[in-house]
Amino acid sequence: MIRKSPMKQKNRQTISGADFEQYFQPHNLDKALEIKAEYEDQIEVAAGTTDLLVANYEKLHQIKNWLDLDKLDELRKIEILENELHIGAMVTHLQLMKSDWIKENFAVLAAAAEDVGSPQIRSRGTIGGNICTSSPAGDLLAPLLSYQASFKLQSAEAERIVGAEKFFTGPKRNLMEADELLTEIIIPLTENEREGAWVKVGRRKALVISTLTLSVVLEFEAEQIVKAGVAMGSVAPTPIRLGEVEEMMLGNTLAELDYKKLGQEVKVRINPIDDLRGTKEYREDAAADVMIRALNEIERKRG
Amino acid sequence: MQITFTVNGEERELEVTPYTRLLDLLREDLGLTGVKEGCGKGECGACTVIMNGELTASCLVPAPQADQAEILTVEGLGTRDDLHPIQESFVEAGAVQCGYCIPGMILAGKRLLDQNPEPTEKEVRYGLSGNICRCTGYAKIIDAVMLAADKLAVEGSDSSD
Repeated sequence: MIRKSPMKQKNRQTISGADFEQYFQPHNLDKALEIKAEYEDQIEVAAGTTDLLVANYEKLHQIKNWLDLDKLDELRKIEILENELHIGAMVTHLQLMKSDWIKENFAVLAAAAEDVGSPQIRSRGTIGGNICTSSPAGDLLAPLLSYQASFKLQSAEAERIVGAEKFFTGPKRNLMEADELLTEIIIPLTENEREGAWVKVGRRKALVISTLTLSVVLEFEAEQIVKAGVAMGSVAPTPIRLGEVEEMMLGNTLAELDYKKLGQEVKVRINPIDDLRGTKEYREDAAADVMIRALNEIERKRG
Repeated sequence: MQITFTVNGEERELEVTPYTRLLDLLREDLGLTGVKEGCGKGECGACTVIMNGELTASCLVPAPQADQAEILTVEGLGTRDDLHPIQESFVEAGAVQCGYCIPGMILAGKRLLDQNPEPTEKEVRYGLSGNICRCTGYAKIIDAVMLAADKLAVEGSDSSD
């Protein structure tokens, strides 16, 4: 029963029969996929709702139908299957940063999760939401690119695995079909020694949308770099992986790298814009600097 | 739709529209006005509650996601005559000016001290990083949480005697 309050706000929505039809909170994935297949792009998927309710509050768009994945506990697991790490799409940032396993093996991802928003946001916001929102500033996206993650997209009829690099197609755009849901994030494990660094540049320490982010993950055999993942956020229409810069590092030891030159190579390969959070020029200069900082950090951690 | 949840130790059953925010449920339906609305966008922390043990911005939780949850608001912490040690510390440290952010600050302090009874100043700042205060400049709020840690430590050692 709702207790009527005399101070009830004017804009408070009333209960109507239609509301019940338009909010779905399925308890298993099959049901969720069935609903998505039926409503396709006429339904808004709700995960941690830390972006969705802000958009709703600002009335950026009207949401008619909601598909709330909150009760899908099957998507809240972090597990290792064969040589891969599987992270359920509804795993929260807090779960990521608290998982000892992720901290040890995917330290850059854990560090990025720790830098998302605030404690209040990290306890609700999900990795799947961060990916599907596909903001170029999404904090987890650069690390996922550097670890060469792929995403499992499921529909009622089929499933496919798409590499993170192919997934993002523009600001807040990705290649998901209207009947698909992101269910899992898959990251390959490695036998090699791995070291990485995470840098987030923003105007404040907490609750800040990134001015730019950088994630560097290097794999070593003896001292030689055998695999590299360098990715950035907020410097192009999508989070980007800098394959050419990675290649310049391969086969070298850290001591053989010219950090300053690599910083310049990063700078010329990004395509930032002027916005509230920083100018194009600032972002280009900062990108070169943070690359040097990241390499110094990796050197220190290995030293 | 119907949801059931536990608020400050009491089980409640409510009829809600799915689009109601947890914040509105607590303030309007349950009269728990210690939960404040600041920005309405999860940035200020005034609407903070502890939901299933974690700090949560209640303005960003649609009512159906609060179903089956356990929620603590500042009203569940202490009463005017019997303040919780964290509340006492805020009074003693002079950490309250306009007061609007304080329920959220106190809950963030509680969550921190539950997990980390002896925080450093840096850890306190990180623990409160989702809560904005426009009056105090934070110094006395940080002092209050540190003071509360001491109080709770003394209390803890008393009860174990």
